[in-house]
Amino acid sequence: MPRRKSKVADGTNPPALTDDVLRDIFERMVRIRSFEEEAGKLMESGRIPGALHLYVGEEAVAAGVMVHLTDDDQITSTHRGHGHLVAKGGDLGRMYAELFGKAGGYCKGKGGSMHISDVEKGMLGANGIVGAGPPIAIGAAFSNKYRGTGNVTVCFFGDGASNEGTFHEAANMAALYGLPVIFLCENNGFGEYTRQDRHQAIRDVADRAAGYGMPGVVVDGMDAVAVYETAGEAIARARRGEGPTLVEAKTYRYFDHVGVRGMGVVYRDDSEVLEWRKRDPIDLLGSRLEELGVMTREQMDTLQERVLFEVREAIAFAEASPDPTPDQLLEDVYTVTAGAR
Amino acid sequence: MPAASVGIIANPASGKDIRRLVAHASVFDNGEKSNIIRRVLLGLMEAGVENVLYMPDPNHLVDGAAERLDLGSLSLESVPIPGAASAIDTERAAAAMSDAACAVVITLGGDGTNRAVARGWRDVPLIAISTGTNNVFPVMVEGTLAGVAAGLVARGAVSLEEAASQTKTIHVQIEGESDDLALVDAALLDERWIGSRAVWQPHQLRQLLLARAEPASLGLSAIGGLLCPVEQRDDSGLLVVAGGNGTVVSAPIVPGNYLDVPVSAFRRVALGESLEWTGPGVLAFDGERDRRLQPGQQARLSVHRNGPRVLSIDRVLHLAACRQTFVRRHGSEDGD
Amino acid sequence: MTAVESTTARSLTYVEAIKEAITQSMREDPSIFLAGEDVALYGGVFGTSRGLLAEFGPERVVDTPISESGLVGMGVGAAATGLRPIIEIMFMDFIGVCMDEIVNQAAKMKYMFGGSARLPLTIRTMAGGGMNMAAQHSQSLEAWLCHVPGLKVVMPSGAYEAKGLLVAAIRDDNPVIVIEQKLMLGRPAEVPEELYEIELGKAHVVKPGSNFTIVALGRMVSESLKAAEVLSADGLDVEVIDPRTLQPLDTATIVDSLKKTHRAVVVHEAVRFGGLGAEIAAQMQEEGFDYLDAPVGRVGAPFAPVPFSPALEREYIPNADKIVAEVRRILGKQV
Repeated sequence: MPRRKSKVADGTNPPALTDDVLRDIFERMVRIRSFEEEAGKLMESGRIPGALHLYVGEEAVAAGVMVHLTDDDQITSTHRGHGHLVAKGGDLGRMYAELFGKAGGYCKGKGGSMHISDVEKGMLGANGIVGAGPPIAIGAAFSNKYRGTGNVTVCFFGDGASNEGTFHEAANMAALYGLPVIFLCENNGFGEYTRQDRHQAIRDVADRAAGYGMPGVVVDGMDAVAVYETAGEAIARARRGEGPTLVEAKTYRYFDHVGVRGMGVVYRDDSEVLEWRKRDPIDLLGSRLEELGVMTREQMDTLQERVLFEVREAIAFAEASPDPTPDQLLEDVYTVTAGAR
Repeated sequence: MPAASVGIIANPASGKDIRRLVAHASVFDNGEKSNIIRRVLLGLMEAGVENVLYMPDPNHLVDGAAERLDLGSLSLESVPIPGAASAIDTERAAAAMSDAACAVVITLGGDGTNRAVARGWRDVPLIAISTGTNNVFPVMVEGTLAGVAAGLVARGAVSLEEAASQTKTIHVQIEGESDDLALVDAALLDERWIGSRAVWQPHQLRQLLLARAEPASLGLSAIGGLLCPVEQRDDSGLLVVAGGNGTVVSAPIVPGNYLDVPVSAFRRVALGESLEWTGPGVLAFDGERDRRLQPGQQARLSVHRNGPRVLSIDRVLHLAACRQTFVRRHGSEDGD
Repeated sequence: MTAVESTTARSLTYVEAIKEAITQSMREDPSIFLAGEDVALYGGVFGTSRGLLAEFGPERVVDTPISESGLVGMGVGAAATGLRPIIEIMFMDFIGVCMDEIVNQAAKMKYMFGGSARLPLTIRTMAGGGMNMAAQHSQSLEAWLCHVPGLKVVMPSGAYEAKGLLVAAIRDDNPVIVIEQKLMLGRPAEVPEELYEIELGKAHVVKPGSNFTIVALGRMVSESLKAAEVLSADGLDVEVIDPRTLQPLDTATIVDSLKKTHRAVVVHEAVRFGGLGAEIAAQMQEEGFDYLDAPVGRVGAPFAPVPFSPALEREYIPNADKIVAEVRRILGKQV
């Protein structure tokens, strides 16, 4: 048979899963876990004001996706957004400072947990409005396509957000325009405190992809390698100009919608939590890395200690950071450009 | 004579994996699976089946499908299994249906679904409805006809022996671990991860044992099929050793993609003949990465004819028609 | 660049002025694109983008589905990543279905991000009644938007302003809502050929006067000028001020006017209650209480949805007669 060119070697296939990549994914997951656990303690002890939506349990998703992205690829995040920024290489000190509402924070203390962002790293913001990300994500993807950058945008959203009209409008437009965007549904089984079977008639959000004319894929969101492979294919597809994909990662939120607790609650059974925890994403990957000799248990322990040290340093930085001063209250409402206003 | 029970196992996870991306496949939504199940149930009722057992699942595929259906006297019961929302559910459900002496089991899923069924009930009397695009074992059939055919066998209008043929299996013994089984293909991959399960990169292939090597199929079976066809009825399997710089076969490993597979050797394997594969690597069964082999760990594989007894819907309906099963005299209330 | 009285000015309709502003801006800056419902192939339901598709192609003149949330959100994402989108919301009434994107995303992104985001986003939309299009295609909802920190809002009162304010909006690095009014589409004015901008946040004294001030929004400027003419027979020398930009509001120009006139009426097409007139009146008494000889009057629509029937809509929408009546009422009260 005559050979047609296969889709290889044009730089738009997912990179090989080398030991370095595996260690990278593992480290990102450990960083998220440490960051979030310490943040949860700080919130419970009243040192962090306001509400935190913690990402613990879902680490494999952020890490497995973000390892495919550069700073020039954008993401839109959710109210549960710390993990996304940590995985995208966010500065832990500036992140904690933001959670504390300090001037040294990513948003100078004006955004807090739900608006943490790093535009330089392509992190277009956590978001306090469920379902706000998808339209913004297609805008960034439109921009990438318009400018011919070859970059992609990953839109994180939850099963809850999949019921917002914004998701449907954005999905339709992304498919219509063939935009380089990946709709990455982190299906943790709950929209706030409402179990999925009480908020939608379907179980697989990925099924909705068919209605928009894009591929829909379900992946085990507790398995970082499965996420890596699936997200990698979807991202490569977008980079090749083949359009958007809906990827649904089945995952689980260990803690409550807001704060920590997570067990002994009215909206779910402890047994369910324990069942999911048996497939803890960090344990799953860690034990496999050990088995394969990619990392020894000692190396993992050293990593955990190093990360915890960095987290404590970051918290110290945040605590030492000054409060924003009243004169900063009215700054940053508008961009003041030379000649204007 | 009261009809025996019929089992239904519908896999909510089929038709949604990474092959949507690497194989131009579309997501097979669960709404469509429910519609198929509705037609199966109506077919079963038409054939006079009164008891249906089904595998419960978090998607409520079967009970959900039945919800807005007038089932008359049909009793629909779930098999008592602890829900794990994984392939183990399918295996346990099949075993429970075996215990309940179901006359036929109808599956909705792909190769992986039917493999899990066979792990629970190796020679299950089976009608396998494909709900995917990359399947060798199940076929695309209309739910109504699947239901009617299963019902005709369940109530004895057509016997299993008349209309079913027994399929082959690949028996896998893994050193120091539990045995396993495949229905179409078993492969040893140069790979460390189960990951997203699907197999679509030919360069990873080291060894391939096929119970069926069919030129008109997709997936790993096609590799052998295009080298040396071995059909379901042939009393042999096919071994393909991948690699080398010589022969290359171009095969549709995934839909839409003929990919080059280097082949250093291939040969037919007699039923019962034992092969040994040595780790490290990952074993893939029926196109899905499933078990890891440690360095030096051995797997022993052999092909047997002891698998699911797959009903031919054509054959069942043909025999039933010859027996005037569907014909009533005017004024008669019932065909029986 | 500021407004210029050009020697190359010629008569251009409001709709042509809008189109020219978009066209010339797009020629100047390749990062600008226009997206909206029926803006490309059809050329805009009001004709504001007719011919643009042919000149700039489908990459830069983009027809979208009827999905206002998706459309405005797309503008936000594109603006945050280096483009300068012009997003058209066909009728202002439709902002109800994209209010989150405008209010919670576009307006706040910069502040929430501690200043690190830049959002050069222009949203154009067509407001106002007078065409018997009933309650969901006729509203004037500028007050909703002026209430939101982070947004700028402009409301051109004629073709000259339509072009200059739109150009300024496009060049501004903030989300700017441009509220156009359909009843003015065919109305001509002198418009310079070259690209010019009208500085945002600067009011314009349309007609200087000495003893009464009328602050009028958008189309109500021309109605106020008519009223001023009628009132001149009463011996009044009315000053008419067009704020042009509603957010940020040029309070200084308005208060300066009060210093000489001591009496004022604010006019807009939107309903009176909670309308921008309330804010302007409040600012007048806060900043200019010592100069005021009478309460500030307000002219706006009655508190009802815009009616369909021509007979009712005529009654509903403010006009020169109503402005005259309100001015006389204020003067009568004063006596």
